[in-house]
Amino acid sequence: MTFSMRRRSIASMLTWMNLLASGIALMLVYVSFLGYNLYSLREAAIASLSGEAQIVGSNSISAIVFDDRSSAETTLSALSHSSDIVAAAIYTQGDLPFAQYPANGAISMERRPLESSGTLQHWTDGADILIASRIQFQGKPIGTVYVQAHLAGIRHQAIQYAVIAAGILLICLAVALLVGAFFRRLLAKPIVSLSTTARLVSRYRDYSLRFTPDRSYNELVSLTEAFNEMLAEIQRRDEALEQARAGLELRVEERTAELQAANRELEAFSYTVAHDLRSPLQSINNICFLIQQNEQVASSQDTAPMLTQLGLSVRTMSAMIDDLLDLSRSTSAPLESKQTDLSLLATSVLERLAMEQPERKVETIVARKCLVNADPGLMQVVVQNLLRNAWKFTGRTDHARIEFGCLQQGNGSVFFVRDNGAGFNQRFAEKLFKPFQRLHATSDFPGTGIGLATVERIIRRHGGEVWAEGEVDKGATFYFTLEPRESEESSRSSAA
Amino acid sequence: MRVRLQPEPAIRLRTRRARVCCALLALSFLSPLCQTQDKAAFTPYDVEAAYLYNFGKFAQWPSIADANSQPFSICMLGQDNFGKKLNDIVAGESIQGRRVVAIHLSSLEAADQCQIVFIGHSEDARLARDLEVLGKKPVLTVSSIPGFLERGGIIQFLIQNNRVRFAVNLPAARQAGVALSSELLKVAVSVTTTPPQEDKQ
Repeated sequence: MTFSMRRRSIASMLTWMNLLASGIALMLVYVSFLGYNLYSLREAAIASLSGEAQIVGSNSISAIVFDDRSSAETTLSALSHSSDIVAAAIYTQGDLPFAQYPANGAISMERRPLESSGTLQHWTDGADILIASRIQFQGKPIGTVYVQAHLAGIRHQAIQYAVIAAGILLICLAVALLVGAFFRRLLAKPIVSLSTTARLVSRYRDYSLRFTPDRSYNELVSLTEAFNEMLAEIQRRDEALEQARAGLELRVEERTAELQAANRELEAFSYTVAHDLRSPLQSINNICFLIQQNEQVASSQDTAPMLTQLGLSVRTMSAMIDDLLDLSRSTSAPLESKQTDLSLLATSVLERLAMEQPERKVETIVARKCLVNADPGLMQVVVQNLLRNAWKFTGRTDHARIEFGCLQQGNGSVFFVRDNGAGFNQRFAEKLFKPFQRLHATSDFPGTGIGLATVERIIRRHGGEVWAEGEVDKGATFYFTLEPRESEESSRSSAA
Repeated sequence: MRVRLQPEPAIRLRTRRARVCCALLALSFLSPLCQTQDKAAFTPYDVEAAYLYNFGKFAQWPSIADANSQPFSICMLGQDNFGKKLNDIVAGESIQGRRVVAIHLSSLEAADQCQIVFIGHSEDARLARDLEVLGKKPVLTVSSIPGFLERGGIIQFLIQNNRVRFAVNLPAARQAGVALSSELLKVAVSVTTTPPQEDKQ
């Protein structure tokens, strides 16, 4: 058993407690008993010494009266039977030595004359006591007896008591150990097994364990009950949590499956619709063309404009269907990775646009050798959509200018399409890439609102990002990357 | 036990003067004596005078009628060497509640009133007769005459180691009806306990 206070068992603490309490009690009893005993011993010694001094004094009267020193010394020598007395002496009334005992010894303590009124006095110095007793004969003082004693017995007594107290302390130790063992069985053992259960629970996280005490004590029972209730509650919550989590996962899976199915259906539907719409539309377009070839019809004032209008509508619808198919393909088509020269793509798109609207004067700048590893078909869609946009929104701008370029940024490239057209309010930049969201009236700039959504999806499928910067009437710039952007780019995007 | 005494105990005890003085003081309670201790020469007679007085304190006499009105008399028969000393010692003192007086006896017949009789050396020749008369009375006889005890005296002074001591004849005291205290016997040099010899019968 070590005497450190940390991590000690309750049983040993109980033992120590017993020991400490009984030790302190015993110490107090010993000290008070010893103190009282020493006091009474001393008082008794003084009383008995005083008596002896008085007896010696009265037995020495005739010796003093008749100046018989040897008789006085004989009387004094009777004191040798008292073991405590070390020296004695008789002094005459004139304080001159008359007789002393032992013959070669003397009173070693400071001897003081008796007070004139007293007949008996004592002085103490540690274990030494000096008794003075006046010798009186027929009412008159004739001398004084001094008796010096050394109460060696008092020290012996103290040692004896200490030995007895130590013995009792040993017995107390044994009793405390026994009581400690008793309590270990009675009280500490259930607590120890309770703590063992608690440790097992916390180690194996098995909240189904329960503790059953073999004996019942009020506090222990309520502690056990509280412990078990706590375990039950934890177990209940654990199970509920587990069920909830399992249910949640199941529901998430269900929802995801539902969602995916719905998505697929939707895509299939829109693809089917778009695809199936194309052939009737083509028929309408062909019939319209054939009708326009009829001179009778073409010369008619009433029908010619209507046919023109019909043709325009058919072309718009065709474009819309193309876009929808692009959008659909952008998500569903399998990705292919091939080195593609975006510069070439951009050049060909711009040439086609210039061919479609030869009346427009547009300055075009295309950077050379902007190369990427990506799906060529989808990249075609991206570049075409962005340039077509730029072409469209510069339609009302004098000195229109369209630029395609690429920047080296970090490890990757950032591509951009810049124009000086109608631009947009930066606040709505996020809306640009949502399907069917438009920032401009269709009357100003016709469009389906699908193009940028398609671009966004393609770029995202490649793991890249697309964003736009713009200002009303000053133009817009669309950037895209084919890999995740650097942090400063994203912060710029979010700040905008 | 017999002790041979010197005929003239004029031994000066100057070397032990202080001790003797204090012994005297203790026994006689006479402070004037002590105050003059350096000048006064204490002779054995001074000591004997004091002892005479002290014997009175260690002895008992048969009670007599009207005892308290009678003085306690210490008498001297024949020539004594105490001079005025004994008178000084007993002046104002009392024994057993009775005033103490010192009387010089002119005749043996006057000894009836005495409790203690000191018999001087001059009485040596008449000692047998003196003791015969005194022995019948309750009188404590004291003397320094050699062979005093053998001749029927009760207490005899003697000099031992330059000090005044005394011996006691206990049967003589008993015969006189004087009871001596055991304290007195304790300090006596010798105590004769055998009765008087045949020739005394």
